[in-house]
Amino acid sequence: MSHAEQRAQQSNPRDTEEETGQSKRIEVTDSAAIPDKSDKGLFTAWRVSCFGAIGLIILLCSVKPDPYLDILLFVPDGVLVTFEVTMLSIVLSLIVGLITGLGRLSGNAFINLTASTYVEVVRGIPLLVQLFYIYYAIGTFTQIPPFTAAIIALTVCYGAYMGEIFRAGIDSIDPGQTEAARSLGFSRWQTMYHVIIPQAMRTILPPVGNEFIALLKDTSLVSIIAVSDLLRRGREFATSTFDYFETFTLVALIYLLITLFLSKIVNIMENRVTPYE
Amino acid sequence: MWKKTLFAFLLVLVCASVAWGQKTIVFAVDATWPPMEYVNQDKDIVGYSIDYMTAAGKLAGFEPVFKNTPWDGIFAGLQGGNYDAICSSVSITEKRKEAMDFSEPYYEVRQALIVPRDSDAETIQDLKGKKVGAQIGTTGYFAIKEVEGVEPESYDEIGLAMRDLKNGNLAGVVCDDPVAANYAKQKEGFQKNLQIVSILDTGQTEHYGIAVQKGNEDLLQLINEGISKVKEKGLEEKFKKKWIK
Amino acid sequence: MNESQPIISIRGVYKFFGRLAALENIDLDVYPQERIVVIGPSGSGKSTLLRAVNQLESIDRGTLQVNGSDVSHPKADLNKIRMGLGMVFQNFNLFPHKTVLENLTLAPIKLKKIPREQAEEQAYPLLDKVGIRDKADKYPSKLSGGEKQRVAIARALAMNPQIMLFDEPTSALDPEMIGEVLDVMKDLALEGMTMLVVSHEMGFAREVADRVVFMDEGRIVERGTPEHFFQNPQHPRTQKFLSQIL
Repeated sequence: MSHAEQRAQQSNPRDTEEETGQSKRIEVTDSAAIPDKSDKGLFTAWRVSCFGAIGLIILLCSVKPDPYLDILLFVPDGVLVTFEVTMLSIVLSLIVGLITGLGRLSGNAFINLTASTYVEVVRGIPLLVQLFYIYYAIGTFTQIPPFTAAIIALTVCYGAYMGEIFRAGIDSIDPGQTEAARSLGFSRWQTMYHVIIPQAMRTILPPVGNEFIALLKDTSLVSIIAVSDLLRRGREFATSTFDYFETFTLVALIYLLITLFLSKIVNIMENRVTPYE
Repeated sequence: MWKKTLFAFLLVLVCASVAWGQKTIVFAVDATWPPMEYVNQDKDIVGYSIDYMTAAGKLAGFEPVFKNTPWDGIFAGLQGGNYDAICSSVSITEKRKEAMDFSEPYYEVRQALIVPRDSDAETIQDLKGKKVGAQIGTTGYFAIKEVEGVEPESYDEIGLAMRDLKNGNLAGVVCDDPVAANYAKQKEGFQKNLQIVSILDTGQTEHYGIAVQKGNEDLLQLINEGISKVKEKGLEEKFKKKWIK
Repeated sequence: MNESQPIISIRGVYKFFGRLAALENIDLDVYPQERIVVIGPSGSGKSTLLRAVNQLESIDRGTLQVNGSDVSHPKADLNKIRMGLGMVFQNFNLFPHKTVLENLTLAPIKLKKIPREQAEEQAYPLLDKVGIRDKADKYPSKLSGGEKQRVAIARALAMNPQIMLFDEPTSALDPEMIGEVLDVMKDLALEGMTMLVVSHEMGFAREVADRVVFMDEGRIVERGTPEHFFQNPQHPRTQKFLSQIL
């Protein structure tokens, strides 16, 4: 520890955030084991699961190619659909989430109420019901292709959750930051864009990463609205061959691999933005 | 002491009634397949197959219990022993015969193509490059997959496929002809929009059979006895009149 | 006073927090190159007054003009007005996600649309002035409190303000770091910077201020030159306050 740091540590407790370069973390108990640098055990668990899953898939396909290899060759377009649905929904729900989060913090009573109501309503309805609703119920009036409906449903649902995370993240930034930026002459939006959001990102990233992975897993629900994702492809295979055990073993392993892969990406992103030094 | 005696007495009574009474057979039904088997407004499972098996039970001396089960897990459940048999418009196919045993056929079906009324398509060949839906794991779905150039879409329930057809997301739906007829001719909200245009040539006629676990000879014999007695008594015509118009 | 037009002109300003009057009938002018130090017990409204000048606090009554334009007017271009008012906070409020240099250049680049190279060229002399050029590429988390406050002063100066507002700039500092910050402020005063300072540093007030303003319970109780103020206070509350802290 440098002399300056030692001195800094003795000073005002209110600015611990600046002193340590560590900001508050939002507690989210959603899901996913994203490996942490400090958490060696989990990191090992990640490796074990990842290489274990790959090894098991290779082993099963080489030892018993019928049906394992057949299944593996049957599902790739489903994997692609799962991936596409996940990625598009994540990007869109981040945009919706940011708008919602800002809306929830807005001083304008109408905007605030709209954003809050949206969050309340969406959080009160199960995703499965939302999927049915958007595809089959709204589909009565207007034609929505299943892929689009899946992305709309996931975006609407996760947009609300992301909105809460953005709100909490922006809220966690010291109001002094806003005051400092405004006093320099930044407008409200410039302050948000140049000062608040870049800082909030750090706080937001871990829970958003969790949401990414939760969303990926929830994409399996879209198979009910005739989106040919990984799970649906697996079910199609199983119902025609009756190889339920083999099919769902492989489907589970593939989901696991995708989840682990995504959590690794989230982890890398997190590490990239962590320290201000 | 009193309680123990009472308990023992009741236990004997229960065992006796099981032993002396009729044999109960639990049938799995995916009750989303009108008019063969579906849930009516009173939340009862009804339909052609249900009447058929109930009558068979009366004649052969077993009591059928119908257990509503989602289609795409229905065969796995049989393998896992969750129920004794499947009575759910299961077409007897070679592939299925490898995994389970079937009773005598009790109904003959063909695969019908159903399209919107304003569609020009006359056969499934006219729908190349378009999406055609069916229930997952049904012979209808397998039939679509056989046709080159048509995009098969699988649904959990036939009703969802019909809805998507009506909403315009599908160019056609393939399913068993009584079900197709039910949607195209009777179902409120569908009959105005949908029509049956053709019967698919799948190479052979299909027959519904009751599926049981492989090697369950006694059960199969009992069910077969019921089916043949229903046929003998000419009840089939009566049920067809009641359910299939 | 070498010019007759005040930069800041406060007339009959009131500010309420609920029923409590945080500011009550405040009149104050700040002329170019004037150094005014506002003192008073905590809760006296002196910080509120300072924050009202650049509208971090709104006012409920009265007029508050900066260079002749009314800042509390709904149509006032506050962002433009604030660019001319440098503000230094008790808790520094440096941008932790930016380096020291970026803290200085962010506003000039984004608000004045100055090219990055030019903004940096202008920033280095300011860092020299506050004596932390060698920390230009460090993040604020690596600085001591005194260094942070000096960067904060430089950041405000980077916008070339007409006047600097200091809101208890040394209150959050350890005693041994107060001197380095006050030295920077004294240098600024010597260069002729107009300053409105809220502070508890009586030594600084005595040495630098042209006028001292004493506030208590939302009112300006007494004002005058440092000599008058420290040697011959008139109002009993001023006398009491000074006797408590000196």
